[in-house]
Amino acid sequence: MSEGTVHPGPTLGLTLRSLLRADFTTLMRSRQGVLLNMLVPLIFVFVTGLPGRQKLGDPGVLIGLAITYGLISAGMLGYSLTIAKDRDNRVFQRLRVTPTPTWAIMASRIAVQVVSALVMSVIVLVIGSVLHHVAFAWYEYLGMLVVSLLGAIVFLSIGQAIVGLLHSSTAISAVGRVLYILFILSGILGSTGALGEGFKVFAGWTPVGALVSLYAVALGAPWSTDATSGLIASVAYGVIFGFVGIRWFHWDSR
Amino acid sequence: MGPETPILEVEGLTVRYGRRTAVDGLGFSIEREEIFGLLGPNGAGKTSTLSVIEGLQRPAAGTVVIDGDDARNAPLAVKSKLGVQLQATSFQDELTIEQLARLYAGLYGLRLTRDEIDARLSEVGLAEERAKPFKRLSGGQQQRFSLFVAVVHRPLLLLLDEPTAGLDPQSRRQLWRRLEGLRGDGGSILLTTHSMEEAQAVCDRIAIIDHGILLVIGAPAEIVARYRDDPRVLKYAHGEPTLEDVFIGLTGSDIRE
Repeated sequence: MSEGTVHPGPTLGLTLRSLLRADFTTLMRSRQGVLLNMLVPLIFVFVTGLPGRQKLGDPGVLIGLAITYGLISAGMLGYSLTIAKDRDNRVFQRLRVTPTPTWAIMASRIAVQVVSALVMSVIVLVIGSVLHHVAFAWYEYLGMLVVSLLGAIVFLSIGQAIVGLLHSSTAISAVGRVLYILFILSGILGSTGALGEGFKVFAGWTPVGALVSLYAVALGAPWSTDATSGLIASVAYGVIFGFVGIRWFHWDSR
Repeated sequence: MGPETPILEVEGLTVRYGRRTAVDGLGFSIEREEIFGLLGPNGAGKTSTLSVIEGLQRPAAGTVVIDGDDARNAPLAVKSKLGVQLQATSFQDELTIEQLARLYAGLYGLRLTRDEIDARLSEVGLAEERAKPFKRLSGGQQQRFSLFVAVVHRPLLLLLDEPTAGLDPQSRRQLWRRLEGLRGDGGSILLTTHSMEEAQAVCDRIAIIDHGILLVIGAPAEIVARYRDDPRVLKYAHGEPTLEDVFIGLTGSDIRE
């Protein structure tokens, strides 16, 4: 602790490497959570891929919907609850007393979640294409990854807004679960048109509907007005919820 | 900065939470290689003061200068000179002690090899626990690891918020020896404590604060000598006045929440 031995401080590269390594390790150690994020999408592609279920919709739409469910689970349940838990345990306060920019702490968390979402998307797409007996070209995989990136940002932003506006872990968990169910229902009922054309139009503007329109285009459907509105809505959701989540976020729940 | 300048200078520090003032114009300084204790009842403003110095809290007014750097103008530079042990710290549950050591070393700009981490953990008796998560350590081991993280980069100033709370006498004595060792290596230490025994045993100087206001500052023995005949102190003294009698005499005997 002498004056001569004090270190000049970290470089940004070393800081980000250290955070990313720790956050990836944390993610890998939470295998249960990662598997649960994939469970609902895989069940969905399996059920909709059973013989006689093709009438539920185009395989591209159904697989896109399944991936969207995985993104909702990762962003609104996994991410928001992890942030809430670390905030309650003062993990963030411990990190903030180091010479680390606060944006780097959050950027590392988000980057890890985005990579996890992309891996989940590829796995669901591969399994979905087998179960639905469709083959996708490389550019369709690429398109799907771009849409998944946008989708991950949308649902991580919503998760961030939830932890920004709510301080209690219990409330965050409850709100996340309610929204998860509402989003799943809006996706199924909207994409199948079970509640009529009016609800289908409404569902197309929800975060789920907006992404499903984009997945459909990425996986072979022609560009449509639904896709245009989906793109506008997704970007708007990402920006608005991201702003709310950052503006009102508190590093300490006390 | 030269050895003649204080390592920490706090001037006119004011912290408010809404309409409540937690710290009100507080000022003090800490010399190099000094162990300084900040004492006060619950809610006196100790943790709020520390939070501002640590960069966790923005003050309503006042300045904090560490080794010549204003904490507001150069927060990251200041943080790289500080070592911090928070009052209630936890680490990521999913990471082992070794992984946490590597993370925090990296955040302070140190690239430590596995052997170097092992050697450092051995110094604090935690090498055997390297594969355990933090929450599976005993209270004393958790305290040692928290201190290990706080001094991994050999900071100029170490901030400790009630470091011995909840420790058994053996662990407490061991910590005191470590603090003396850190000071011997050229570091300065600011600690908060409720223990008068601790303040007298390890602190060169102490400040007693209450309601965010500085009541008295000086060496423990000097403060006792200064107030030994004060009627507020004599009211609580059983025989020769002690530091605890002075503390109670100045801050009152009401229990604080």
